[in-house]
Amino acid sequence: MKNLRMKAARAALDLSQQQLADAVGVSRQTINAIEKGDYNPTIKLCAAICRRLGKTLDELFWEE
Amino acid sequence: MDHYHAGVLFGLTTGLLAGLAFVMFLFKRKILDMSFDERQERARGKAFQYAFLTLAASAYAYGVSDLALGRWCDVLTGVTLCFSVSVVVFAVTCILKDAYLSLREKPRTIMTFFALLSLVNLGFGVMYHLSPGLVENGVLTFRAVNPIIGSATLVILIVYIVNHLLRPRDEEAE
Repeated sequence: MKNLRMKAARAALDLSQQQLADAVGVSRQTINAIEKGDYNPTIKLCAAICRRLGKTLDELFWEE
Repeated sequence: MDHYHAGVLFGLTTGLLAGLAFVMFLFKRKILDMSFDERQERARGKAFQYAFLTLAASAYAYGVSDLALGRWCDVLTGVTLCFSVSVVVFAVTCILKDAYLSLREKPRTIMTFFALLSLVNLGFGVMYHLSPGLVENGVLTFRAVNPIIGSATLVILIVYIVNHLLRPRDEEAE
């Protein structure tokens, strides 16, 4: 399932996938795979993404 | 051990040591790097599995072909052939999953290095083919190691370039 909330949060900060990838120490393709729902990140990477985007884990990754 | 075989052994050992020293130099200069992210490491683990199975299957196929057809290549050539096939499987799987180059490696530098490696080894292959020595008494000699390595690196290079060209340019379009 696509992670549109993460994509929206990134876009709201006007960050490119590459900029977010550099900030959390992964490749751009990994950020792209997470947003497309092709890859489930570890809790460590989820937390790093949340910190950079200023969101909580629930806001970005919790599925109702 | 006669002079010929001693020379071959010395040449192979020297080549191996020179190759190791060169790879160590590339790591020291940060041209080669092993910093992969978690997704890449997972993809590389899967690629390693495929490569291991390919190596096992190709080694078995080589052994069976040697039994069925008789000696058709030097052992070193056969081993290099099996190893090269598995390396190609590993590299192609990694390339298709965007896990071949690490976070710090520069694609252009690595691919230029691959192109040179391929060119030099294929050049040796052509040279051996023109001055008979590639095949002796119907047996593929150890000199075929160079063209085999050259072909493997060429395949990896082509797959990388084609994969790069076919990928959408716009990151949001992916």
